[in-house]
Amino acid sequence: MSRTPWRVEPETSAGPERALAYASEDGAFSLYNEYSEGVSILVPRPTRTRGDEPGATWRTDGTSRGVHPLGPAPAMEGYGVFTFPYGPVSMGVPEAGRFDVRTYGERVLNLVPVGGFKPRRIRESVVGTSVEDAALRIERMAGNFSAAHVSAFLSAVESAAHLEVPSVELWTRGLAQELQRIYNHLHVLARVAEAASQNVGLAQTHALAEEVLRVQGRTFGHRWLFGALLPKGPPRRLDPVGRSDVAGALARLSSEFEALWELFLESRTFIDRIQSTCVVDRADAIRWGAVGPTLRACNVNWDDRLRIPSAPYTDLFVALPHESSGDALARVAVRAAEVRASFLLLEQMLDRWPRSPTSLETPAPPVAPGRGIGRVEAPSGDLVYDVAVSDGRVRSLGFRSPSQANWPLFAAGMRNAVFTDFHFAFESFGLVFAETDG
Amino acid sequence: MSSWIERSVTRGILTSRYPRETATDEELPVTARAPRPVPGAPPSAAAVSSCPVAAISEKEVDQGKCIRCARCLPNGLSFTGPGEAATRSRAELREGAATPPGTVGSGAPLRELGRSLHVFLIDVGSCNACNLEVLALANPFYDSQRLGIFFTNSPRHADVLLVVGVPTAEMVEPLRRAYEALPAPKAVVAVGACPISGGAFAGTPGLAPVLAELLPVDVFVPGCPPTPVNLLDGLLMLSGRDRRSRGA
Amino acid sequence: MDALGYLLTVAVVGLFAGAPLSLVHRRVGYGTAAVASALLFAVAVAALVGGPVQGASWSGPLSDPESLRLDGLSAFFALAAAVVWVATSVYSVYYDDRSTPYLAICYSLTLASIALLISSTSLLLFLLGWETMTLASYGMILQAHGRPGKVFSAAFVFLAFGEASTLLVFVAVAALRAMTGSFAEVPVVVGGSLATVVFVAGLIGFGLKMGVAPFHMSEWLPIAHSSAPSNASAVLSSTLTLAGAYGLFRILSLLPSPPLWWGAVVLGIGAVSVLLGALFAAVSEHTKGLPAYSTIENNGLILVALGIAMIARTDGLTDLYVFALFAAFYQALAHAVAKTALFLSAGYIEHSAGTFDLNSVAGRAKGADGSAYAGTLAATLSLAAAPPLAGFVSEWMVLEALFQSYRFSPEWVEFEGLLTGAAVALAAGLILVAMVKFLGFSLLWKPRAARTGGRSWGLGAPIAAAGAVVAGIGIGAPWVLRFLTPSVAAFAGTPVVAPVGGLLSVPDGWSILSGSPFGILSPPMIPIGLGAGALVALAYYGLGRRSGARRAAPWMAGSPPGREGETYTSFGYSTGVRIMMESVLQTREVRTHVGSVAAEEPASPFSYNVDLEVLDVFKLFYDYLVRFGDGVSSVLKSGVMPGRLGRYLAYILIVTLAVVIYVAAAA
Repeated sequence: MSRTPWRVEPETSAGPERALAYASEDGAFSLYNEYSEGVSILVPRPTRTRGDEPGATWRTDGTSRGVHPLGPAPAMEGYGVFTFPYGPVSMGVPEAGRFDVRTYGERVLNLVPVGGFKPRRIRESVVGTSVEDAALRIERMAGNFSAAHVSAFLSAVESAAHLEVPSVELWTRGLAQELQRIYNHLHVLARVAEAASQNVGLAQTHALAEEVLRVQGRTFGHRWLFGALLPKGPPRRLDPVGRSDVAGALARLSSEFEALWELFLESRTFIDRIQSTCVVDRADAIRWGAVGPTLRACNVNWDDRLRIPSAPYTDLFVALPHESSGDALARVAVRAAEVRASFLLLEQMLDRWPRSPTSLETPAPPVAPGRGIGRVEAPSGDLVYDVAVSDGRVRSLGFRSPSQANWPLFAAGMRNAVFTDFHFAFESFGLVFAETDG
Repeated sequence: MSSWIERSVTRGILTSRYPRETATDEELPVTARAPRPVPGAPPSAAAVSSCPVAAISEKEVDQGKCIRCARCLPNGLSFTGPGEAATRSRAELREGAATPPGTVGSGAPLRELGRSLHVFLIDVGSCNACNLEVLALANPFYDSQRLGIFFTNSPRHADVLLVVGVPTAEMVEPLRRAYEALPAPKAVVAVGACPISGGAFAGTPGLAPVLAELLPVDVFVPGCPPTPVNLLDGLLMLSGRDRRSRGA
Repeated sequence: MDALGYLLTVAVVGLFAGAPLSLVHRRVGYGTAAVASALLFAVAVAALVGGPVQGASWSGPLSDPESLRLDGLSAFFALAAAVVWVATSVYSVYYDDRSTPYLAICYSLTLASIALLISSTSLLLFLLGWETMTLASYGMILQAHGRPGKVFSAAFVFLAFGEASTLLVFVAVAALRAMTGSFAEVPVVVGGSLATVVFVAGLIGFGLKMGVAPFHMSEWLPIAHSSAPSNASAVLSSTLTLAGAYGLFRILSLLPSPPLWWGAVVLGIGAVSVLLGALFAAVSEHTKGLPAYSTIENNGLILVALGIAMIARTDGLTDLYVFALFAAFYQALAHAVAKTALFLSAGYIEHSAGTFDLNSVAGRAKGADGSAYAGTLAATLSLAAAPPLAGFVSEWMVLEALFQSYRFSPEWVEFEGLLTGAAVALAAGLILVAMVKFLGFSLLWKPRAARTGGRSWGLGAPIAAAGAVVAGIGIGAPWVLRFLTPSVAAFAGTPVVAPVGGLLSVPDGWSILSGSPFGILSPPMIPIGLGAGALVALAYYGLGRRSGARRAAPWMAGSPPGREGETYTSFGYSTGVRIMMESVLQTREVRTHVGSVAAEEPASPFSYNVDLEVLDVFKLFYDYLVRFGDGVSSVLKSGVMPGRLGRYLAYILIVTLAVVIYVAAAA
C-alpha cells in the first residue's frame, strides 16, 4: 500500500491560505501546507525566503548561532521606554530562555523571545551515529514530547530506507503519542490555572496529569516514554491484560477530566483572565506558519493526524476541534477538546488493537535516495523531521519543531498586553525552549 | 453538577506516605530504580558493549552516567536497585568492588540548613523532563510542602540550588550568577544524569564541563529523569531526613 | 524702640541692602542676605520668647502710621522664612555662577519684600511688599537658562497670576479699610457682607500665591517649564507660599468669628489641593516639577488644618480648634524647611548630572556628597511622612484632627471631613511614590563618590543643615509646639495651651495629645526606642558573632545586571499610577510610525515612537480662559479700536455730547 501524504508541485510560495511548513537547510526541498484544500505540498527546489519569513527564524544551528531572537519585533522608542530582560533564569518560565520586554511601565510595547541558551547540538552530534543511538538523543530533544519526536524521526528513517513497519509498532507509537498529548494538554491547563491563582483547579489538574504519567510508567516502564518506542527498551505491558488495565484507568481519568473541565468553564475569574488575552490574528498565524492548537484556535482546520494520514489514525475516527477567537481561551479550549478526542482515540485503539503481528505497513516514499520526511502532530503542533540515512547511520538531520514555528505568534500576540498577561499567554502556547534550541 | 469542594472530598487524600513508608510501585516505575547486575556476578562483556554511555565496565556500574535506556536488560542487568539512589559524592555513584551496592550511604547532613529547605530551580540545558519532574513535586501526590520543601522565585531567598540539564557554554555565566546570589549556607543538588556526567549528551563538543567542575555539588541524584520520589530522597538528604539516614 | 527693635529694622534694611551690594559682587549680595536673615531669625526667636518686638515707625504716603513689628503671628512666619533664607543664601553663594548680578539683585529684593510684608503693621505697606515680591520673583524667574521664548512665557504666566493675586489682595485691603476706617492691622469687630468680600478676595488672592487648587498652575508651570534657577525655586516654593499663608492667616485673624461655610470652603480647597498635588507629583519626571507639586500638596494640608480649626471654632469645639491650629502652624514650618532642602538638592543634582530629567540622571550622576545625600534623605522622608521627622508629626496631627471631624454638627460638614480624610490618606500614599522616586532615581543611583570638594561642599552643607533642622524639629516636636504657643495665641486672639503632655512612663511634655485624650504621639521616644533596639543589635552582633557579609551583584534573572537601557526608568516606576488614574490624568498613548518596512532588516521591520502623556485638566480651563481673552481683545482691537481717525472722532463727539446733556440735566 503506497501513500503519498503530500502533493508535489514544481514551485509555489506562501499565500493567504498557504504556509511554509519546513524549508530544508541545504535547499533540497520545502514543504507547504495548503489550508483551504487541506493538503500538504512538497516543492523539490530551494525556496528563497525573505528575511522576516518563518524559514529565517527556524534555522537552528546551535553551534554558531548563539543567543538569538526568535521573532521579529518593531523597534519602539519613546520617553522613559526601556528594555526589561526576563530570563534566562526565572521561576515563571522554568526553562532557560529570555524575554526582552520593551516597555514604559505596565504595558508591553513589544516582546522578543530570545533563545539559544541551551543548545545541546543534537543535530550536529547525531551525524554519523547509528539510528538507534541517534534516537536516544532525539527522545531527549524535548522530554515531554519524546514520543512525537521519536515517532517522527523513525518515520523519516523508515521512509528514507524503504523499511516496512509492523502495524503493532505503529499502533504503539500512536498509543504513546496520544497518552503524551493528554499529559501535555493537562499540564498546560494546570499552568494556566496556576497563573490565574485557581489553586484548587491547579491541584486537581496536576493530579490528573500525574496519573497519566503513572499510566505511562506502568505501561512502558518509563514515565516519559524514553526507550519505549525503540527496539530495545524497558519492558512494556501491552499484552491483553496490560491493555485492559490501561483502558480501565483511562476510562476513569476521562470522566474525571470531563467533570474538571466543566468546573473550569464555570469559573468566572478563570475565563476572564484568559479571554481576549494575547489574541493571534488568523492572517498572521498563516503567514508566520503557526501550527497545532495555536493554529486551530484561529479557525484553521489543520491536524497532521487528519491531513497527513498514517496508521493508526487511518483506521480510527478523529474529531478535529477548532475555535475561532484566537485568544488564550480558544487555545486552552482546543486543548481541552483534544484531550477528550484523545481519550476517545485511545479507547478505540485499545479496543481494536491489531492482533496479527505480521501485518506490515509501508511508509511514505522517500523524497530522495536515502532521505525521508517524517511528520506527526505533536501535542504543540506539526513536527517535521528530515533525515538522510545510509548503512544504518544518520547522514544528516533537519527538523522543525512546533515551538520554533509558534514563537513569532506569541511575540506578536503580546504586543500591547500588560505584564500580568504574560504567563497566561506563554502557558497557553505550550512553547518549549528545549526543542527550539536543539 | 458538582462543585470543587465536592470533587475534592470525593477524591480523597492522594498524598504519598513517602518517606515515612517505602515508595510504592506506582511511584517507582521500572526505570526509576538503578540497574544492577545479578548479585555475585560481574557485568558481562555483552552488557559492557550494550551501554551507549559506557556506564558499565567489568568492575563497576556508574550510576551517574546511566540514562535508563534499558539496553543492558537482555545482557544480565535488571532494575533492582532501591528507589533511593542519591549520594553525597560522585565516587559513591560508582557501584563496584570499591563501593558495593547497598553500602551507598548518606553523608553528614548540612545542619545549618535546618529542617526546611527553600529551593531555587535552574535549568542549564535540559530536555524539560527533569524540569517537569521537579514541578511535579508540588502536585497533590507528592506535596513537597508537607516535608518543608518550598520553591522560591529568587535565588536570594533560597538555600538550595537545584540544577537540571547538561551545562551549556551559554548558561555557565547565569549559573555562576545564580550561585553567587544564594546566601550562605547553601547547597547545590545535581538532578539527573545530565549535570552529573553529561548523560546522553556526554562528549558532545561545545558543551560546558560537568556541573561538579563548575560548582561544589552537595547531592547527586541519578536518573533520566529522576522521579519525584528520587528527588525527595535527594533533597531530604541535605537535612538528614531521608529514609536511609533515619535507618529505615 | 529698644535694642531688639533696632535689630529688626537693621535686618529688614539689610535684606534690602543686598540688592545694591550685589552690583559690587553677587557673592557680597548673597552674603548680606545670609547675615540679615540670621539676624531676622534671632529677632523672631526673641519675639516669640519675650513678646512682640517693635521696630522703626514712620508715616506712610496716605498719612497712615506704618511701622515694622513682629507680634506672635508674624514672628512665626519670619522665623520660618529666615531659616529657609539662611540656607538658600549660603547655597546661592556657591551655586550662582552667572556673569550678571541680576539674579542676586532680584533674590535680595524678593527676600526683602517678603520680610517687609511679614513685619508690616499697615495693610498698605503689606500691599507694597506683596507687589514688590511679585515683581522681584518675576525677575528671578526670567534668569532661567533656556530658550528665551519658553522662559519668557513661563515667567509671564507667573506674573499674570501674581498680578491677579495682587488685585484680589488689593480688594481685600480696600474692604478692610472700608470696615475699620484705617489701614492698621487691627481686628474688625462687626462682620457683615464686606467681611465676606474680604474673605473671598483674600482666600483667592492668597491661594493664588500658595498655589492651591484650582490655581495650582501658578506654582508648577513657572518652576517646571522654565527651569528657574534652584535657589530661586527654593525661595519661590518655600517662602512665597509661606507669604501667602501669612496673608491668609493675618486677615483671618482680623475678621470676627467666621460662619461655618468659610471653614468648609477652606477645607474643600485644601482637600482638592492635597490630592491633586500628590497625584501630579507621583507622575512627574522633572526634578523641580516634582517638589513643586509637593508644595501644592503641603499647602493644601495647611488649608485642611486651618479649615478644621475654623469649623471647630464655629462649632464650639475649643480643644480641636487649638489642636488644628497648632497642626497648621507646624505643617507650615515643616514644609518650608523640607521643601528648601529638596529644591537645593535638585540644584545639586543639576550640578552633578547636568539635567532636570529624572530619567537621565542615572547614567550621568557623579555620585553624591555625603552631606547632600543625608539632607535629601531627611527631606524626602519628611515629605513622605516617615517617622520621626517633621513631616510625619505634621501629617499625624492633621490626620488626627480629621479623625475628630465626626464631632462637627451639621452632617454635610462631617461628610466633607470624611472625604477630606480619604483624600489626605490617598495623597500620603501617592506622595510616598513621588518621594521614593525622587530619591531613588537621583542621588541613590551611584555609590557615594568621594567628596569632590570646593564648590560641591558649599552646595551640600546647606542641604544637610536643612535636613538636620527637619529632623530636629521632628524629634523635638513637643517643645517646638510649646515654643509656637505665642503665635497660635496671637492668631486666635486668646491665650492657648500647647497640646503636649505625658502618659504612662513617658515624661510630661514629651508627647503630643490630640483631643482630650484622643490620640497620642511621642516623637522623642521614637529615636530613643530605635536607639535602644540598635544597641541590642550591636551587642548581639558585637559579641563574637561573625558578621561575614558578602557583596553580590543584583539578581537580574541571570542576565548581566545594569546594562545601558535595560534598567527600570523613573518613568516606568510611576506608570502604574498613570494607568490606574487614567481618568483623572487623561492618560493617552501617542504612537507615531517612524520607520518603513525594510526587507533587509528582519529583526526590526518597522519602528514606532511611543509616548505616554498625562495632562492637568485644570490647565484646559486656563487655556480656554486665554483663548477667550485673546478673542475678546481681538474683537476690541478690530471692532472698537481699529485705529481709524474717523471712529475716534466719533467717540469724542459722542462722549462730549453725553457730558453736555448730563451737566445740563443735572443743573
